[in-house]
Amino acid sequence: MSVAVPQHPLVAVDGVSKSYSDAPALSPVSFAIQPGERVALAGPSGSGKTTLLYLLAGILQPDTGSLAIDGKDLARVKPGRELSLLVGIIHQQYDLVPHLPVLHNVLAGRLGQWGLLRSAASLVWPQERGLAENALERMGIGDKAWERTSHLSGGEQQRAAIARLMVQSPQVVLADEPVASLDPAMADEMLRLLTGLAEDGGRALVVSLHSPELIRRFCTRVIGLRAGRLAFDLPAEAVTGRTMDDLYRLETPFSDMPERDGTPVLAPAGTAHQSRLPPPGAFR
Amino acid sequence: MESRLLLTVALAAALGWSLTNIEWDSPLVHSGGGTSALRFLLALFPPDLTSEFLAIAVKASWYTIAYAVASITLAVAIGLPLGVVASGTVLPETSAWRRPLIVGTRALLAAMRSVHELVWAVLLVASVGLSPMAGILALAIPYAGILGRIYAELVQDVPQPPLRALRATGAPPLAALMYGQLQMALPDMLSYTFYRLECGIRSAAILSFVGIQGLGYQIQLSMHDLLFSEVWTLLIFLVGIIVVVDLWSTYVRRSLVS
Repeated sequence: MSVAVPQHPLVAVDGVSKSYSDAPALSPVSFAIQPGERVALAGPSGSGKTTLLYLLAGILQPDTGSLAIDGKDLARVKPGRELSLLVGIIHQQYDLVPHLPVLHNVLAGRLGQWGLLRSAASLVWPQERGLAENALERMGIGDKAWERTSHLSGGEQQRAAIARLMVQSPQVVLADEPVASLDPAMADEMLRLLTGLAEDGGRALVVSLHSPELIRRFCTRVIGLRAGRLAFDLPAEAVTGRTMDDLYRLETPFSDMPERDGTPVLAPAGTAHQSRLPPPGAFR
Repeated sequence: MESRLLLTVALAAALGWSLTNIEWDSPLVHSGGGTSALRFLLALFPPDLTSEFLAIAVKASWYTIAYAVASITLAVAIGLPLGVVASGTVLPETSAWRRPLIVGTRALLAAMRSVHELVWAVLLVASVGLSPMAGILALAIPYAGILGRIYAELVQDVPQPPLRALRATGAPPLAALMYGQLQMALPDMLSYTFYRLECGIRSAAILSFVGIQGLGYQIQLSMHDLLFSEVWTLLIFLVGIIVVVDLWSTYVRRSLVS
């Protein structure tokens, strides 16, 4: 599989850092993601995975450095219409509105593009209905469109949330611990659907994931984070149980501390910067 | 904790002191009261169920219901937008206008509800005259103040993760309001509005005392003539209406929540 490398990477993270009330959550990190990549973020809790995802989603603003998606600096992208086409995020809890019919939850993926009147009208006469029905069909829950969302099983809600992302259709899909509370079969299914989403036309997926087996099966690349720094950046097939054990064991003395106390002690200052990534596509 | 204990002691002391102010030797109930109360109670057997009076009671009930429904409808129409604004969700957190707007609408809602509907009625009857509109406004203004305040809290208290997800899809605040807060708050908003409709029916009956048609007006007339069995009939109608509204609200809420 070879992807034509455009002049700019799909995601460019350049010297990005973030602290919460003076405690560093993320020391300056830099990396790039090319279209078609499926990147796993690994690391113990408090290592900065969620912070990095929220920065990529434009939910948090970095203290230093810059993030760009498709060449557009996130600091200059207005939240709403433009941002929602660049990046979309799915959480562990799916976060659907329980009182709405499934169809409207899926169409909520279009709220960034619709005007207010159209959004209001859609609650009565669903707009772009075909789009949502098609997404639900692809997720295998086409018959649930008019079901109240709270009546859906966990697995069906997960599919509805992915259908919403599909309707939103961002270039970069982020998933924050999507399989943390799922049984193995559901975890497989979730990752299959998410990676399928990222394969549509040169998109990318960034997902926090801990199991080396799942990383090898569903991702192309894995970035290890430790105490807010890049610990490694490897092709997925190179990751072994050993790599992961090291990543998590090294942090053990600090793992029971809250994130804000996770002072970087293991990686000497600057290593994160120096461990520049392999050239895009080198590990394919 | 200590200040709470202090407050308890202070309140208990105030209660004790207030008891010393009562003139214990003069009777609390005047001497003829007992016989009057007994006469009133006995009039319940039977209440006045003649067809002429039932027709009057039905018509009076109809007036009371009409005033209550019209007033609550207007109160919702005023209270909902004000409540949404007071909840602060229509403006982004960063907006400089957010704080003043919240404080301003909250103050307006407080002013509307701190004046009792009877006082509004007296004011409005004095200014616009004894018209149905005066009665409706007298109820609608304080009720809009109460509804707006509760709506604001219900809108604020909905679970936040679904909202964050909506905002993350790029939804502007008002779209998130329509698809998020209002959807999630709707069952509680409806059931509170129904409860207020009940209160509105009681209040509409009371408003008749300033001369507006309805159950209260008829009660007043019958009381004047000491026709207690008529009063009982009217009271039974009032209770009946409240019970029906209560059943209706339970039914609507159940069909929304399930």
